[in-house]
Amino acid sequence: METTINLKDPYYFKQWQQLIQSEGLFIENLDDITETIGIYENDKLIATGSYYENVLKYLAIDPNYQGGNTFNKLVSTLINQLATDNIFHIFVFTKPQYMQSFEYLGFNVIAQNDFSALLETGDYSIDQYIEELPKVEGKKISAIVMNANPFTLGHRYLIEQASQNSDFVYVFVVNQDVSLFKMSERMQLIKEGTKDLTNIKVVNGGQYMVSFVTFPSYFIKSRTDVIDYQTALDAQVFKRIAQALHITKRFVGDEPYSQTTEIYNQTMQKVLPPEVELEILDRKEVGQDIISATKVRQAISDNDLATVKKYVPETTYTFIKENIQTLLRRIHDGN
Amino acid sequence: MEIKHTALAGTLESSDIQFTLSKGDSGVEINLDSQVEKQFGKQIRKVITDLLAEYGIENVKVRAVDKGALDCTIKARLIAAIQRATDTKNQPNWEVLG
Amino acid sequence: MERLRRTMMFVPGNNPAMIKDAGIYGADSIMFDLEDSVSLTEKDTARMLVFEALQTVDYGKSELVVRINGLDTEMGKADIYAMVKAGVEVIRLPKTETADDVVETEKVIEEAEKFFGIEVGRTHMMAAIESAEGVLNAPAIAKASDRLIGIALGAEDYVTNMKTHRYPDGAELSFARNMILHGARAAGIAAFDTVYSDVDNTEGFNHEVEIIHELGFDGKSVINPRQIPLVNAIYAPSEKEIRNAKDVLNAIEEAHKKGSGVISLRGKMVDKPVVARAERTMALAKASHLVDEEGNIYAE
Repeated sequence: METTINLKDPYYFKQWQQLIQSEGLFIENLDDITETIGIYENDKLIATGSYYENVLKYLAIDPNYQGGNTFNKLVSTLINQLATDNIFHIFVFTKPQYMQSFEYLGFNVIAQNDFSALLETGDYSIDQYIEELPKVEGKKISAIVMNANPFTLGHRYLIEQASQNSDFVYVFVVNQDVSLFKMSERMQLIKEGTKDLTNIKVVNGGQYMVSFVTFPSYFIKSRTDVIDYQTALDAQVFKRIAQALHITKRFVGDEPYSQTTEIYNQTMQKVLPPEVELEILDRKEVGQDIISATKVRQAISDNDLATVKKYVPETTYTFIKENIQTLLRRIHDGN
Repeated sequence: MEIKHTALAGTLESSDIQFTLSKGDSGVEINLDSQVEKQFGKQIRKVITDLLAEYGIENVKVRAVDKGALDCTIKARLIAAIQRATDTKNQPNWEVLG
Repeated sequence: MERLRRTMMFVPGNNPAMIKDAGIYGADSIMFDLEDSVSLTEKDTARMLVFEALQTVDYGKSELVVRINGLDTEMGKADIYAMVKAGVEVIRLPKTETADDVVETEKVIEEAEKFFGIEVGRTHMMAAIESAEGVLNAPAIAKASDRLIGIALGAEDYVTNMKTHRYPDGAELSFARNMILHGARAAGIAAFDTVYSDVDNTEGFNHEVEIIHELGFDGKSVINPRQIPLVNAIYAPSEKEIRNAKDVLNAIEEAHKKGSGVISLRGKMVDKPVVARAERTMALAKASHLVDEEGNIYAE
């Protein structure tokens, strides 16, 4: 019998935790679970799976029931449950050895490596995403991926550099609404701030250019492997899209003080070439001061428009000035 | 008949088939995933296209993951998916089902 | 002659694998369930699965029954229309409380038969009784429609309603079983006992089947094919019963040959109920493969 499990109830939580841990999974954060399903046989929990938004998580099956129909039933139940919430496009991050089981159920592999695989199923796919992107002609097509929360002079500099050294530049905007600036606002500010550059296309990163730090890692044994897996998978997804669009170069900004970015850049250096070259550009400085969106957000939070002005183009500054109350409210509500 | 929104019906369990129907604009596009594609792919596609035609659905994306379903199961799951995608869950179309 | 209904196998309406194979276990009746075994979100697709299966899958001699959702739900009417159209033999009403419930359902069935141009009255009915109210109304329910072929006890809901649970000795069901049985017999229709859900407990199951067999139930609801031979074994007549039945039937034949209106056996008059029982015994013996088509005991 299949049913939803209330993890807030200690009795059910303990049952669930035992099954999860016996299968070598790690419980990260219960806030990252929208719903949990359990399959019971004679009152015993024999399989469980959860999801957060459209990502399947924490799939575990009692060893006595593996290799049979239980896995199909579990995945099927999760998919049907998601469908009742009108979610049809579904992702799963899993160990490479389970890749085939998911493929058998109609999932398609987006990217895979020694640690992990990312698969998807449903009414949308990476191929459809690629198909929907604008296509350009040119010998030197390059790309930049940015969050631009908000668009700063640093971002502008990066795009300018890429623009001068390419026939064409795709600017992929990371689609995450946890940002202070909404997706549509970030897209708009990039477009406005680069109006003078004719060879760039600002596009929505969709579901495929998300921040790799949001990739779940409950199935990775060693915590030190987690960042490797996350960055590698992210780089592979990018490479797949890049190759389809004939992108031969990716520009990234250097982040001398961020260890994560350092590792990420190293991983990309391993994954992308030779098909896609990686070029790391120095950060733009204002005086001695490196420009960063974090500093801009801090200044907004401090209601310090003078500092904001130092770091951002005129277009971004105007937007912030006009919307400062809304932005302050968002910061307030977010905390 | 028009597909109003994406809808799913069926499961991935043995002897079943799972359909996801979504809006399309270039005719009936069928994406079939079946272990018996070689032997029965043609037949499965025919059941799908015939039924869609009976419902007068001209533009639709059909994603089907087959786990060895009988023809009657294929029909039943597709009808359910159509009813869901057209918001007619409890109003079966008796003319077609006749 | 009255149909044998020793076993009524429950088949969840949203499970294509079980629906496909339901015919191979030799259940006297197969009941496809659109009600409690189907989650709310899957009601519509289960309805279509059963609808299509009824028209295409060969279920041999099994009587085909569908348990619909009640008319008090948004599914009820569509369930009835679909099953009438599919040509099901029996529509089973869940949670029957009063004779009116049967009458109301019959109206919709008739409406559906007319709508589809099907002979009115072709679709039979049975009513499941699953509450104190229903049990107290069992005699009236059993007589509420000519379409009724039987009434059944649904114990899971009933014991909840009675503020109790199922127990091995069945004391908690004894009143309900007797009411339903009397209601059915008074109306001349079949009486079905409830399911036994602990599939692995053969001993407990057998014990319960023995109880209802002694009481006089026509048969038992089963949820797993493994329970079918167990019921059949308990319902199989003894050799002595078969001999006696054969004697009765022979006596009838003798009397007919002599042109005598009075049938007697060993100096006692053989009346109608005795004849009916003899016929049922022979039917059971045939179904259990204890006699051949002519009624000869295999061991002889």
